[in-house]
Amino acid sequence: MSNSMLESEAVVESPASATVMSMQQALNRALDEVLADNPRTLIFGEDCGRLGGVFRITDGLQAKHGPQRVFDTPLAESGILGMSVGLAMAGFHPIPEVQFDGFAYPAINQIVCQIARMNYRSRGTMPMPITLRVPSFGGIRAPEHHGESLEALFAHVPGLKVVSPSNPHEAYHLLKYAATRPDPVIFMEPKSRYWQKGEVDLARHDAAGVSPTGAKVMREGRHLTLVAWGAMVARCLQVAELAAEDGIDIEVLDLRWLKPIDAEALAASVRKTRRAVVVHEAPLTSGLGAEVAQLITQSCFGTLKAPVERVTGFDVPHPSGDLEDEYIPNIDRILFGIQRVLEYKRG
Amino acid sequence: MAEISFPLPDLGEGLIEATVLEWLVSPGDQVERNQPLVEVETTKSAVELPSPQAGKVVRIHGGPGDKINVGEPLIVFEVPDNTAGIVGTVPKEEAPKRRVRLSAVLDED
Repeated sequence: MSNSMLESEAVVESPASATVMSMQQALNRALDEVLADNPRTLIFGEDCGRLGGVFRITDGLQAKHGPQRVFDTPLAESGILGMSVGLAMAGFHPIPEVQFDGFAYPAINQIVCQIARMNYRSRGTMPMPITLRVPSFGGIRAPEHHGESLEALFAHVPGLKVVSPSNPHEAYHLLKYAATRPDPVIFMEPKSRYWQKGEVDLARHDAAGVSPTGAKVMREGRHLTLVAWGAMVARCLQVAELAAEDGIDIEVLDLRWLKPIDAEALAASVRKTRRAVVVHEAPLTSGLGAEVAQLITQSCFGTLKAPVERVTGFDVPHPSGDLEDEYIPNIDRILFGIQRVLEYKRG
Repeated sequence: MAEISFPLPDLGEGLIEATVLEWLVSPGDQVERNQPLVEVETTKSAVELPSPQAGKVVRIHGGPGDKINVGEPLIVFEVPDNTAGIVGTVPKEEAPKRRVRLSAVLDED
């Protein structure tokens, strides 16, 4: 058998194209391939170039693709995003990075007033194919502004799409997908999951019939649906294992896209399980959990056994250090939320 | 493996340099985060500097009596490539622990 035959078989058979890597490596590989595929792609941000990023996501990319395409910026987020607007107008596909979630605030004007609206404002003549990478959420014991969850803020802005991968496989494929869209995408990387390894099937993202813009069932179950995204998906999968010890069969739905939300997937899952708990790190009030709960209620009001429960962070700034363990939904808090739904009585 | 350099931090009160009194670690040592690295003396006081991160010590700069300016290299760590984040720490992967048990009467209607 010749080498070329082996290679062509590898494309067809998914196990041959699967490889184990961390999310950090998966994102790095996706960016490398996007740079190679599209000569109009540029990557820039604080420490993205020579250092390769504080989380080494852009490691080696400047050396490989040159300092014209992968470069460092001054410490000025509104400049990073403002420059992205101009580059997009000139036909480039910028993939800027704000180094941490909390550093997106100085760039909010550029994101909300320019990037999100330019296509609308120009009657479709100035699309903004910008993929903004934002290392997001908490869990790494970092100081203030390094553990925040901005998905509800971004999701509220018309014109933006928002997505968050939960594992290396999703990270690789969702980043490659986002970077080839004509619209601005906020790509929220769960930084506490950068280092965990998982299997990545490079050749195929989803099973047939699953849309890359939709949610994904990560575990099937009959009694209750846990809805999560980012780092909370792995935690919900742990909870589902523990709940199984008690005879409770839990479905875990990775929402993936936080704008637009896959309402059909929520409806399909909860019509089956008739109970739902949504879990996120962001504060409770006006968090995305409220939107998810409403979408479920809209489609499943007649069949729900209990109101949709939310297990979330608290209405305080994301805390530093060990207090994170109290703030981010932990296994027991999620189990309590499940128990409240299970024992709910009408009337 | 990647090398990460830790410069002498700003010790406050407008101080621009410090004198090394005693190194508490040596090249080759594996150190933990917050482990005291070195005792330095400023015009204000003698202080122990805690390690900003875990890692293996590759190099130390300056011996007892040497002056080091704020921002100049103090110590270089070697860390595995996949944990070389500069901010924060890598979460430990632990077996899930629980205190809450679920109980429910599930009518399968």
